[in-house]
Amino acid sequence: MLSLLLLLPLLIVMILNLPLGRFRSLGFWVALVLSLVQAYTVLFAPAALSGNHDVLGRLFSLGLATDNLSRVLLLSISIVTFASLLVGRQTIREEKQRINFANLVLIAMTGMNGTVLLTDLFSLYVFLEVSAVASFILIAMKRDLNALEGAFKYIVLSAVATILMLSSLAVLLLISGSTSFAAVGSAIKAEGRSPLVVFAVAMFLCGLFIKGGLVPFHGWLPGAYSAAPPAVSILLAGIITKVSGIYALIRLATSVLGPSNSINALLMIVGTISILVGALAALGQTDLKRMLAYSSISQVGYIILGLGCGTDLGIAGAIFHLFNHSIFKSLLFVNSAAIEEQLGTTDMSQMGGLGSRMPVTNVTSLIAFLSTAGLPPLSGFWSKLMIVVALWQSSHGGYAVLAVLASVLTLAYLLTMQRRVFFGILTDRWANVQEAGFGITLPATVLALITVGVGVAFPLMFNSFLLPVASFLK
Amino acid sequence: MNDHVLLLPILIPLVAGVITLLLRPREAIALAATAFTLVLAVFLYNHDKTFSVAWAGFGMEFLLRLYHFSSFILLAATGFSLLVVLYCCSFMRDSKHPNQFYSYLLITLAFVNGAVLADNLVLMLFFWEGLLVTLFGMIALGGREGFKTATKALIIVGISDLCLMVGIGLAGHLAGTATMSKMSLPMTPLASLAFVFMMIGAISKAGSMPFHTWIPDAAVSAPLPFMAFLPASLEKLLGIYLLARISLDLFQLSAGSWISVTMMIIGSLTILLAVMMALVQKDYKKLLSYHAISQVGYMVLGIGTCVPIGIGGGLFHMINHALYKSCLFLTGGSVEKQTGTTRLEDLGGLARKMPVTFACFVIAACAISGVPPLNGFFSKELVYAGALERGSIYYIAAVLGSFFTAASFLKLGHAAYFGKQTEASKNVKEAPWPMLVPMIVIASICVLFGLYHQLPLNEFIRPILGEQRLAAQESSGNEMLIIVTVIVLALALLHHLVAAKTMGGGLHASDHIRHAPVLTKIYDHADKGRLDPYNLALAIIRGISNLAYRFDRAVDSLYNGLSVRLAYTLSRGISLAHTGNYSLYVVWALLGVAMVLAFMRMSLWQG
Amino acid sequence: MITTTHWVLLGALVAGAVWTVLTARLLRSAVGLAITSAILAILMFQLASPLAAVFELSVCAGLISAIFVSTISMTHRVTAEDLAIRLKERLHWFWLLPLILLAAGAALISVHFVLDIRPPAPPAENDVRIVLWKIRHLDLLGQIAILLAGAFGVVALFKEWKDE
Repeated sequence: MLSLLLLLPLLIVMILNLPLGRFRSLGFWVALVLSLVQAYTVLFAPAALSGNHDVLGRLFSLGLATDNLSRVLLLSISIVTFASLLVGRQTIREEKQRINFANLVLIAMTGMNGTVLLTDLFSLYVFLEVSAVASFILIAMKRDLNALEGAFKYIVLSAVATILMLSSLAVLLLISGSTSFAAVGSAIKAEGRSPLVVFAVAMFLCGLFIKGGLVPFHGWLPGAYSAAPPAVSILLAGIITKVSGIYALIRLATSVLGPSNSINALLMIVGTISILVGALAALGQTDLKRMLAYSSISQVGYIILGLGCGTDLGIAGAIFHLFNHSIFKSLLFVNSAAIEEQLGTTDMSQMGGLGSRMPVTNVTSLIAFLSTAGLPPLSGFWSKLMIVVALWQSSHGGYAVLAVLASVLTLAYLLTMQRRVFFGILTDRWANVQEAGFGITLPATVLALITVGVGVAFPLMFNSFLLPVASFLK
Repeated sequence: MNDHVLLLPILIPLVAGVITLLLRPREAIALAATAFTLVLAVFLYNHDKTFSVAWAGFGMEFLLRLYHFSSFILLAATGFSLLVVLYCCSFMRDSKHPNQFYSYLLITLAFVNGAVLADNLVLMLFFWEGLLVTLFGMIALGGREGFKTATKALIIVGISDLCLMVGIGLAGHLAGTATMSKMSLPMTPLASLAFVFMMIGAISKAGSMPFHTWIPDAAVSAPLPFMAFLPASLEKLLGIYLLARISLDLFQLSAGSWISVTMMIIGSLTILLAVMMALVQKDYKKLLSYHAISQVGYMVLGIGTCVPIGIGGGLFHMINHALYKSCLFLTGGSVEKQTGTTRLEDLGGLARKMPVTFACFVIAACAISGVPPLNGFFSKELVYAGALERGSIYYIAAVLGSFFTAASFLKLGHAAYFGKQTEASKNVKEAPWPMLVPMIVIASICVLFGLYHQLPLNEFIRPILGEQRLAAQESSGNEMLIIVTVIVLALALLHHLVAAKTMGGGLHASDHIRHAPVLTKIYDHADKGRLDPYNLALAIIRGISNLAYRFDRAVDSLYNGLSVRLAYTLSRGISLAHTGNYSLYVVWALLGVAMVLAFMRMSLWQG
Repeated sequence: MITTTHWVLLGALVAGAVWTVLTARLLRSAVGLAITSAILAILMFQLASPLAAVFELSVCAGLISAIFVSTISMTHRVTAEDLAIRLKERLHWFWLLPLILLAAGAALISVHFVLDIRPPAPPAENDVRIVLWKIRHLDLLGQIAILLAGAFGVVALFKEWKDE
């Protein structure tokens, strides 16, 4: 049933848009149900995802495969999509735009599911473009100057990424004759010392760095995240860039390239720069969403740092942090959606004391920020701990120290955020602000519960789930 | 009879203590529990029993042993508890937290009984430490000031308990067992160290210098029966009991060892210094509390002599002191209850208004001053004889202490019970009977133990010392000592009469000592608490923490100046770099690509 | 083997790309892009890589047409004076282009960047249709999704905007 994860969203989009009647308005609900079904399948019926032997799969010979890493990502995709859809329903006023939004989310879902499941480097590029094109349009949907500018920057830098990846693919195709992971991997092993191959790999990595928004390839990211409509910010920050940049990097590093000291060193340097620059930049922001965007860069840096560590524990930590990050960063963006919806602004310097008016948002934001900053026993603490311990064990003490220090910065800017927005005295201007609607508080609560639950259940998961994820990849 | 009965003296007060915390007729429960325990103690007196249960392992056994010494302390402790509870029935009626007070009192009794009965050092330490909690609780009942004092007591007693713990650990290690009745250590250097640590624990529990400073503070703020109950009687019993046990049984202490000398010096100094402080106090309770310290000196001195007559004297003095000092505190309680004050300036002429209290006071004061034929006289004579045997300097110190004791009680009696009536004492009535009965009982025991001093000596003290002959007859027959004592007492009376006349009133009879050329400065310092080791230690700690604070500030300013400012400067720089110009971002990305390519190329060359 | 034809095509490619960037009229720019991409595809066929040529054509056709048609519909005409000024500005930037190219070439030579891999001969029967329909199902699916997204982009961003 693996191919259904790709085909179903696409098929639904097509069917809904046939000029038959009033199906179009159903798009939202169908998408919501689809995300829930996907989460259910990953969690409770993993057997359905194990093989590629269903009728559709044979018919199309799509060459899909799952492992634990892709299951983790499928789960994240479904959860974040669910949250984003609910928030979208609450925040997008026009009926037509809402339908477009649901359809585009479905297309993005096709793109992400495909990215996670496929086993071919060129297909990987194609599906990255699917979710990228969907997100360009999603970002620009508000059609104000900022949104268009954000989308435009994303398009331009994506184009650079496209050039890099396509050039790289051309070279890799030349040496291996095929673009499947296995063929490229063995070709790289055989020809690994050739400068051309190294340049090809480096260029592909750079393309993924741009997609993932790592420093110094991140220029598009703050503008895109902050200018997008609230629901799109959630989708974009929570999962799209994570899948198209970070998942692809993890997949490339583990399944294609294999262990390599120079690539690991590169990943660790880029990861550390991203952590520091992201955190420092976040410290100086006054716009809530922009601050969260920089925070996202910084957190992605942790994932790459763990990946670059190269040990089982480091990779497991990276994957775990990827999942956690997609949950708590979505949660923070859900909270920012609540604020943007109720206040009409995301400028933190105008806020204060909202905690009393918006209790659910306040508490869930507190949970999310504590988890982001890595405070026990929330989920973020464990994944950061795993990454730091892995760095320490692989005798990269300096990186470990930097990672911990940056954690302090994370705490600093998120505490500033929490204080500016939720604590303190309520100004007269916001005296009559209400808590956001059910469509926002429900996903916020669900995400907060996941953050707490994963954190508390961590000891149960560590040996049975997290370590096998990494060793499976080796 | 079943050996399980040994658990009862511990369990009954403990359970009753918990119940009083919850249920209403707490006086009745407390009375019934202590009375029943007393009956049990009488019943158990002079039996030999052991009770053993495997406990925590590692030589820690739940081992209780009843024999003549412990049964005697058990009897005394329970008896005092009953009297204090009876007294409290009327004294504590209007207090704020009577349930807590009774509960603490009963639990204290349970722990004291446990510590006395324990034959395992670790078990004893367990009960001993438990007392710390109830001590803290009882002092803390005195409100804000009480809490401060309670903290002070907790720290002082806690530190000395820590010493005791170290001593017990050492002793147990050396002896290879923690069972007290199996222990008899020769005085090797390490064993001496163990002894000193355990001695510190014991004498600080008894309230000897320099571990005494919380007692006068507690006298002011804690409920008065507490003073009669803990520092005056139960803690003395327990502390001196342990001191006697370690000197007599656990260690083979010999006369002439440096430890013996140390103990005698501590004893002498405690006698003198505390009594000098007592002499100049202007508060009924505070004056008594300093005497409670001073008298410990006699016991420590007596036991420190390491000669049978001195040890016997010390133990006899222990029981005597518990009697008259609790009686004195109880009279103080009556005065406080009836007049509302214990400041001697506000008191006067109470002899007529409160005759029974006054009579009890006179008996107890005579006893503490060592007036024949009261009990204090005989025990002091025994201590004198022992001290003289070891060196005349200790004897002189002890006699001087007696002189000042007598002088200070003459002052106290004069100021409180004679002289002009004041505002506070004008309309005073005699205390109610539940308060009088304990005083009368204790006073009459004082007289009884004085007239028939052979009775307690033969019954209680002799079995403790074992087969060693107690030279009671000889000591009482030593006419020289008796004559000196009588002369000293007469001198004290004379001094008081002359001083009272010249200085104007009994209250000021000791002022000339307070303002004597050298002493006045020492007193000034003592009044300000500068000689209190606790305050000294606090000052040192404050100095250190001040230093640490300075250091912390320096680090903090470094942190503020460097890291935070650095972080914000960098942050601003990064923000400025993000101009929003997409071509700039593309340039960054391309530069990044160039750097990545260069890096990969470099690593390819190296690797 | 690199022949004269290849060099000519490469020159045309560069010229087309520069013209695309320099021209101040969007429509011309779009045409320029199409031409450039067509030359590129021919070049790829000439270099015996039909797969790459197909990808280039399909992706450009799918994505770029959608984006450009949408974008051009948003614009308005500029005056001739404006046009001249902008052309001047852009030319100003492109003076540097030969220098950059020279520098990049020198850098590549200095790091011994040599194309020393012999391309394996492509299987004879892999003609474009076979490539698209028999082997690359998944990519086709992806391209359909991209086209759909492009269509939604036009609808969401422009059609409804014009309705307002």
